[in-house]
Amino acid sequence: MSGRGRRRHALLLGVVALYSLFPIYFITVQSLKTPEEDVFGSPLWVARPTFENYTELFERGEAQVRGYAILPKVPFVVWLANSAVVLAASVVLTLACAVPAAYALGRLRPAGWRWWRRGLFATYIVPQTILFIPMYQVVLALGLDDSPAALVVIYSTMALPFCIWLLSAYYGNLPREIEESALVEGATRFGAFRRIMLPMSRNVLVAAGLFTLGTVGQDFMFASVFLLDRYKQTVAAGLGVMDVSLEELVAVAGVNLAAIPIVILCALFARGYVRGLTAAMIEGA
Amino acid sequence: MDRARVSRRPGGDGRRDSWVAYGLMAPSIGLVALVMAYPVAWEVWVSFTAFSVRDEGRAFVGLANYRAMLADALFWRALAITVVYFALTTAAKLALGLGMALLLARPSRLRAVVFLAAFLPWAYPGGVTVVAWYWMLNPPLITSYSLLAGNLKHAVDGAFGAGAWAFASVALFNVWRGGSFTAVFLLAGLNAIPTELFDYAALETRNGWQRLRHVTVPLLRPFLALAVFLSFTTAFADLANVWLLTGGRIVFPVIGTYAYWLGIRNGQFAEAAAWSLSLVPLLALALLVLFRWFDRPAEQAG
Repeated sequence: MSGRGRRRHALLLGVVALYSLFPIYFITVQSLKTPEEDVFGSPLWVARPTFENYTELFERGEAQVRGYAILPKVPFVVWLANSAVVLAASVVLTLACAVPAAYALGRLRPAGWRWWRRGLFATYIVPQTILFIPMYQVVLALGLDDSPAALVVIYSTMALPFCIWLLSAYYGNLPREIEESALVEGATRFGAFRRIMLPMSRNVLVAAGLFTLGTVGQDFMFASVFLLDRYKQTVAAGLGVMDVSLEELVAVAGVNLAAIPIVILCALFARGYVRGLTAAMIEGA
Repeated sequence: MDRARVSRRPGGDGRRDSWVAYGLMAPSIGLVALVMAYPVAWEVWVSFTAFSVRDEGRAFVGLANYRAMLADALFWRALAITVVYFALTTAAKLALGLGMALLLARPSRLRAVVFLAAFLPWAYPGGVTVVAWYWMLNPPLITSYSLLAGNLKHAVDGAFGAGAWAFASVALFNVWRGGSFTAVFLLAGLNAIPTELFDYAALETRNGWQRLRHVTVPLLRPFLALAVFLSFTTAFADLANVWLLTGGRIVFPVIGTYAYWLGIRNGQFAEAAAWSLSLVPLLALALLVLFRWFDRPAEQAG
């Protein structure tokens, strides 16, 4: 590449970074402002940054005593913990269901496997709009009303079809000699899977896990419909119903704070995510 | 492609394997059936009845709801808006995503950092980011930028009619977040293409555009198809975003938001069910095309 071409490439990469980060920069700037500066300052930078809005999320209003815990009025810490539990449990449940199913579809290939795989994927065309009405009946029948477990179950079904698709493509494309050499050496089928195929699919598991996280993190609807008790809500549900019209800066600070753990996770796994997608799709399956 | 054919297991002790396979698939199928089967059946059944908050009897009315829907001018308007919304956002997401993927596929010292930046819009938890977007594009309070946002809103609304700005802001959010997903997805696709193919293509084609049209895009086709399909399903289910970003004041309803409005605000559950199911044929068609492109014939041979 010529010097000019390289400079142009670098410039375009800069534009990509700017475009991707600007909204995040913008809300971060707002979240660091005092109420006065929010009205009179510049929208693009902050003259006197303050962490007021962030600290306020942790300690505000009259505290309430619940059991042994003293909770602030907007239980942001509780929301964060709830979100973490729901997200982690959804990823675990999704992968725990997807991996055996993907092995079956990719390796064992029972009669009609292609239709099972397609059928599972076809659940994406079910319109979600008013589906939460009958879903609430299911949740009640399972005795999961007002419980984060309801969200975990629903979220997992949302991410499952794509994860199965991805993982089964990968397992299906692995040369069978890999598995067979282990079988020849006396390993059981399960042993061969656990010791050889599962570690090999590490990146694909990362891709499936991050996809689940992104899909689940997008939801706001189910969270706000199924979790009514404010001490059981997730951040998305809590911030959505919080009286934002009066507490704009605090809400925006909350968005950023909730994003930090996810951003760290993604920074750690982003590379594996791309490698996993490539590995799974390389045969175009 | 060929490797997939070779690696297929020979017959073997098929029967036992089949039972093991079904056993391994059982948790997934069970979970999906548990969560989806009843709600989907409910929705279909209700769309054939007169169920609403005023009439809990659920009398069977056959196709009446569908007939009323098809005779409703609002339906065709909402369908047109949905299609436009889908076409615009998908085109933007594909163009941006492909552009970003091509830039990121070329070696550069900046690549690792920019890649992370491009990944963030999708990784930033969408359910909460949408709140921030709402504040940015429709500031309901007096803030330092509300004058700017207000002027923009009036300019756009003046040119395209009231509510256009709210519609545009939803589309912008969708493109910002979805474009990032598409970019990373297509980057994975580009990485799957052997570099020799690109070297060969560089010899065979005259310029970058030709290479893109005749080599890169055809090779990326399965990835593009999957990206479009995922965008298709979100465009039609993009309900919470539309709802939140417009504060519930929907002037440009997509099918999903109108169905939601019918069901939740008006309590006309039967009509709402019919409206939301009206998209299924379109989505099913998209799925069939996707399977054709994505579920390779090489696999179907077996």
